[in-house]
Amino acid sequence: MKTKNNPEGKDKIRMIAIMTVSLCVIATGILFSLNSFMKGDTAGGTAGAFIAVIIFAFAVFVFIRGNRDLKGGFPLRDERSGKVIEKATSKAFYVTLYLLLLIGFLSDDIIKFRDVSQAMGIAVGGMAILFAVFWAYYNRKEF
Amino acid sequence: MKTRIKELRARYGMTQEDLARKVGVRRETIVFLEQGKYNPSLKLAHDVAKALKSRIEDVFILDG
Repeated sequence: MKTKNNPEGKDKIRMIAIMTVSLCVIATGILFSLNSFMKGDTAGGTAGAFIAVIIFAFAVFVFIRGNRDLKGGFPLRDERSGKVIEKATSKAFYVTLYLLLLIGFLSDDIIKFRDVSQAMGIAVGGMAILFAVFWAYYNRKEF
Repeated sequence: MKTRIKELRARYGMTQEDLARKVGVRRETIVFLEQGKYNPSLKLAHDVAKALKSRIEDVFILDG
C-alpha cells in the first residue's frame, strides 16, 4: 500500500516477508513435532507443538496489528519500534547463548535429547520465544 | 523529559493519529512522547516541533 509515510510500498513487502518466515517456522515446528511423536518422543513433540503455537500466536498478532496500521496510513516500523526490535534482538541473542550452554550442560546427564537437531530445535524455538518476551517488555519500557 | 505535545496538539485541533501521520511515525510513538517516556532523536524532535508550528525547545522541556 503506497502512502505518504510509505511511498514505495516497502511496508507491504516487509509484512509479506515477516508472514512468510513465520509460516516457514510454524511449518517446521509442526513437522518437527509430528516427527517426534511418530518416533515416540512425546516430550520433544510437545515442545515442538508448543513452540509452533507460540510463534503462530505472535504471527497472528503481528499480522492484525500490521494490517491495521497499513490501512490507517501508519508505518510498520519507525524510530521507536526500530529501537525496541534492536534491543529485543540483542537481548534474545545474549540469553540464547546461555540457553545453548545450558542445553549443552544438561544434555549429558539430565535431559536426553533424541539427537543434535532436537537440541538445536529447542534452542531456536527458545530464541524465538525469548525475542517475543523481550519485545513485549521493551515495547512498554521507557527509554 | 516533559513535553507540551498534548497542549499544542489540542491548540491546533490535531489528534494523536493526525500528528503521527504528519510526522511519519506510529501512534504509540506519539503516546510515549506525550508521556515523556521516549527520548526522540533530533530529527524526530524537529519534525514534531515543525508539525506543531513551534520550536524544539518550546515542545520538549528537559528536566534539570
